[in-house]
Amino acid sequence: MKRNSLSYKIIQRVLISCVALGFIIFAIQYAYTRYLVENTTRENAQLLAENAVNEIEKVIRPVELIPENLAWMMESNVISGEFIYSFLEKIVKNNPSIYASAIAFEPGMSSKGSYYFAPYAYRDGQKVCTTQLGSSDYDYFIMDWYQIPATLRIPYWSEPYFDTGGADALLSTYSVPFFLNRNGHRVFGGIITIDISLDWLTKIMHSVKIFKTGYAFLISRTGSFVTHPNREYIMNQSIFTIAKEDNIPELREIGRTMIQGKNGFKSVTTQVGEKNWIYYSFLPSTKWSLGVVFPHNEMYADIRQLTVLILFLSALGLGLLVFFTVRIINKQIMPLAKFAHSARIIAEGNFEVELPKVESGVEMKELHDSFEFMQKELAEYVIHLKETTSAKEKIESELRIAKEIQMGMIPHIFPPFPNLPEVDLYASLESAREVGGDLYDFFLLDEDLLCFAIGDVSGKGIPASLFMAVTRTLLRSVANKATNTAQITASINKTLNISNESNMFVTLFVGILNTKTGELRFCNAGHNPPILIKNGKEADFFGLTKSIPVGLFDDFAFTEEHLQLGRHDQIFLYTDGLTEAEDIENKLYGNDRLLDVVRNHADYLPKKLIEEVHNDVKVHVNGHLQSDDLTMLSIICLRNE
Amino acid sequence: MKTRTQNARDLFLFLAFFSFTFSISIGQTQIAFSPQWFPQAQFAGYYVALDQGFYKELGLEVKIVHPSGTVSAFDNLNNGKVDVISSFLMDGIKQRASGRPLVHVGQFSQHSALMMVTKKTSGIDQAKKLNGKTLGLWSFGFQDIPRAFIHKYGYDLQIVPILNTVNLFLLNGVDALTVMYYNEYDQLINSGLNEDELNTFFFSDYGLDIPEDGLYCLENTYETKKEALKKFVQATLKGWDYAAKNKDYTIELVVREMDKAHLPNNKTHQRWMLNKVLELIEPGKKQVKKGQLSKQDFQSALEILKSDQTTNYPNPNILMEDFSK
Repeated sequence: MKRNSLSYKIIQRVLISCVALGFIIFAIQYAYTRYLVENTTRENAQLLAENAVNEIEKVIRPVELIPENLAWMMESNVISGEFIYSFLEKIVKNNPSIYASAIAFEPGMSSKGSYYFAPYAYRDGQKVCTTQLGSSDYDYFIMDWYQIPATLRIPYWSEPYFDTGGADALLSTYSVPFFLNRNGHRVFGGIITIDISLDWLTKIMHSVKIFKTGYAFLISRTGSFVTHPNREYIMNQSIFTIAKEDNIPELREIGRTMIQGKNGFKSVTTQVGEKNWIYYSFLPSTKWSLGVVFPHNEMYADIRQLTVLILFLSALGLGLLVFFTVRIINKQIMPLAKFAHSARIIAEGNFEVELPKVESGVEMKELHDSFEFMQKELAEYVIHLKETTSAKEKIESELRIAKEIQMGMIPHIFPPFPNLPEVDLYASLESAREVGGDLYDFFLLDEDLLCFAIGDVSGKGIPASLFMAVTRTLLRSVANKATNTAQITASINKTLNISNESNMFVTLFVGILNTKTGELRFCNAGHNPPILIKNGKEADFFGLTKSIPVGLFDDFAFTEEHLQLGRHDQIFLYTDGLTEAEDIENKLYGNDRLLDVVRNHADYLPKKLIEEVHNDVKVHVNGHLQSDDLTMLSIICLRNE
Repeated sequence: MKTRTQNARDLFLFLAFFSFTFSISIGQTQIAFSPQWFPQAQFAGYYVALDQGFYKELGLEVKIVHPSGTVSAFDNLNNGKVDVISSFLMDGIKQRASGRPLVHVGQFSQHSALMMVTKKTSGIDQAKKLNGKTLGLWSFGFQDIPRAFIHKYGYDLQIVPILNTVNLFLLNGVDALTVMYYNEYDQLINSGLNEDELNTFFFSDYGLDIPEDGLYCLENTYETKKEALKKFVQATLKGWDYAAKNKDYTIELVVREMDKAHLPNNKTHQRWMLNKVLELIEPGKKQVKKGQLSKQDFQSALEILKSDQTTNYPNPNILMEDFSK
C-alpha cells in the first residue's frame, strides 16, 4: 500500500481516530480505577489498623483495670501492711498477662513509715516471688515508671524495655497513682504498677498483612519502635532517627503527627524514589501509635496487570481492526484503481474502452455513470476538435499566404536604387499578427523624384491588411498622375471613402523627394511626425502639422508642406507601433526615448539606424507580447552640393 | 522496676567482664583504661586508636574496661583495676580536693557541652524566666556547673532529680532540663521535638565553659608509667584525628562496641554525638594545645569548686602543677 494512496490515508485516519479515542477511554478508566483502588486501599489500611488497635485495646483495657482497682482498694484501706505482698502475688499468679506488679509508696507513706517501701511480686520461671524494691541503690523515686505518674498524677505506660532478668521479653509497665486517707485528707500515696509482656502485641502486629510486603509497626509516645518487622529497629531506632538516617523529612512529620495522637493517611518517598503509604492510628490507652505501611507499587500492582491486559487486548483489537479495515476498504475502492486504469486508456485516445463493472455502492455507480458520460462527451469533443483544428489550420495556412502576398506588396530589396547614388533608404515592417495594417512604399516618379509613404490602418488583422493593400494600390496608381503630395493624399482619401462601410481609415505620410535638389514635399494625413536628422548630428521631429487620416471625410482639403534637405540630412519615419510599444508594466516606449536613440546614432545610415532603434525597442519591451505592427522607414540624402 | 534493675545489673556485670584482651608481648607497657560511661561515640577516639593499632605502635598494650551500674570508673581506678580513667574536669578536681592522690594527665574536651533546654511553649526564652520553675537535673553527677549557674545568677530554681531519660521533660513534668548537647539534646530531637521548638541555654555562654572529658590516674601510677601515659594521650589524640577524618568507619566501630555491650543504639544519634564531641576537642579561641588543660580553665573550675557551699573539701587549695602533669 503506498503511503499516499487513498486506502492508506483512510486507514491511517481511522486508526489515528481509534487510537485517540481508545487512549481517552483508557486514560479515564485508568484514572478512575486508580481513584477506586486508592480509596479501597485506604479503607482497607484503615480497617486493618483500627482492627489491630481494637485488638490491642481489648487486651490493654482489662489489664489497666487491675492497678486502677488496686488504687481504689488502697485508698479504701482494703489492703495494707504485710498483706500487700500476698495480694500482689495473687494478682501476678491469677493474671497470666501480668509479669510483675508493685505498690511503691511515697517516702513515709507506708504503714512502716520507712523512706523506701515498694512491695513487688514477679514471676521467676513457674514461681511467683515477692521482694521489696526500694533502697539507696534502687532509688525508685527518680525512675520514669514512678516519677512521671507521680509528677503528673496520671496513669502512665512506660517506654517498652527488653527484660533479660527473667521475663526475657519486651515489657511495658503501667503505673497508676494511688491516694491515701490521712487525717481526713486525701494525699498522694505512691504508684501501683503492673508489668506486662508485649509478646502478644507483636503477634497481633505481625498478623497485619497488606499486599505483598505491607506491614504494621508500633511506636511509643517518643517515637521509638515497639514492634517492627525489622527486629533491629526495636528499642534501637525511633521513627525520627530513621527519618534522619534515610533523609526523609516527611517521615519525621508523620512521626510527629503520630505521637501527637492523630490518625492519618500519608505517603513518603525514600531517597531512592520508593514511595510508600502509611495509615496511622493512635492507641488511646498507651498513647502509642500504630502504622500500616505498604509500597505504592504494590497498591497499583493489580492496576498494572489490568493495564497490561487492556493494552494487550487493545493492540490485538487494533491489529484486527487494521486487517479488516484494509480488506473492506480495498474491496470498496478496488473499482477506483480500475477506473484509473480505464482513464489512462481513455487518455491515450481509446474512448471505447470497457469500464469496470460496479456491483455495489451508490458513489461508485455515480462514478461509473460519470465515466461513461465523460467517455461519450470526450468522443464527441474530439471529433469536434478535429474539425475545428482542421478549419483553424486552413485559416492559418491562408493567413500565411496572405502575409506573403502582403509582404510582397511592399518593397523589400535594399538598396532599392543602386543606380541612384544621391539617396539611400531602408525600411522594415514587423506585423503583430500574421497580417497587419501598417504599410510603407517608395518608388521613383522620374529620374529625380522619389515618392515614398508610410501609413497605419485603423484596426488590425485581415480587415486592416486588406485596407492597407487598397491604400498601397491607390498610392501607386495616383502618384504618377498627381502633381503634389496633397493631391495624392486627397485622391486616395476620396477613393477610400467610397463604400467605406466599415468606417476604416489610415494615417498616411506621403512625401516626394527631389534627389538632385534635396527638396522635400510632403503631406501628413494624421500620421506620427517623422524625425529630421540634420547632417548626421541634430535630430528633431518635423511635419508636426497633422491633417486628419484618410478615409474619414471624402472632401477634406489636405495641404502640402516643403522642406529643404541638405547633404547627409536624413528623415526617419515610423508608425505608432514603435512609440506605443509597451513593456511588461504597460509603459510606452515614447517619443522622447525614440528621439534620444535617434540622436545618439544620428550619424548612422538608414539600415543601421533602423536596426539600432529596433534593438532599443526590444530592450524596452523585454519580451512582452507585441501588440501593434512596427514599421520604420528612413531616407538619407547623399547628393553632392 | 526490679526487673529492669536486674537487667541492668546483668548487663553491667557483663560489661565489667567485658574487655579487650590481647596477648602480652615482651617490651610493651600495659595500660588499662576506663571511660566514665558505657560505650558510645563520646569515647570514639579510644576505640579507633585501639582498632587502628595506634597504641601498639607506641609500645602500649591497652585494654578498655567500661564501668558498670555499680562500679564507676573512679572505683575501677581506686581498686587498682585500671591505670587511667576518663572523667569530667570538675569530678577530677573534686576527687583531688577530697584528698585522693589523683593527677590529670590529658584533656580532650576543651569546652562544656552542658546546657539547659526549655520548650518554647513554656515561654521560658530567657535565663531569668527560669526563676520559680522546675529544672530536671541528673541525680548521679554533672551537677556542679548547673548548680554554679544557679548560684552565680541567684535564681530560685526547684531542682527535680532525674535518672537518665528525657521522658519527664517530654511530658512537661519539668519546665527545664539539663542535657548534654552531644547526647540528651539529640535524644529530644529523636523523640519528635524540633530544634525550633526548643530554647537552649548553653552554660558556656554564661561564663561557665568548663572543659569536660580528661584523663586521670593515681600519683603512683603516674610515677611508674609516666612515659606510657604520655604515649597513651598521644595515641588517643591520633585516634580522634583519625575518627574526624573517617566518620563512617568510626560510627561503625562505635556501634559494634555498643552491640557487644548489648546497648540500644542507632547510627543517627552516634553520628551526632561524634560530631559534637569532635567540636569539643578543638580548643577554638582558647590558648591551649589539643590534649592539654589550660590554666585558666583549671582556675575557673577550682573557683566553682570553692564556691560550692554544700560540700566541705579537706584539700581545696590545689595547685595546677600538682594537679595536671
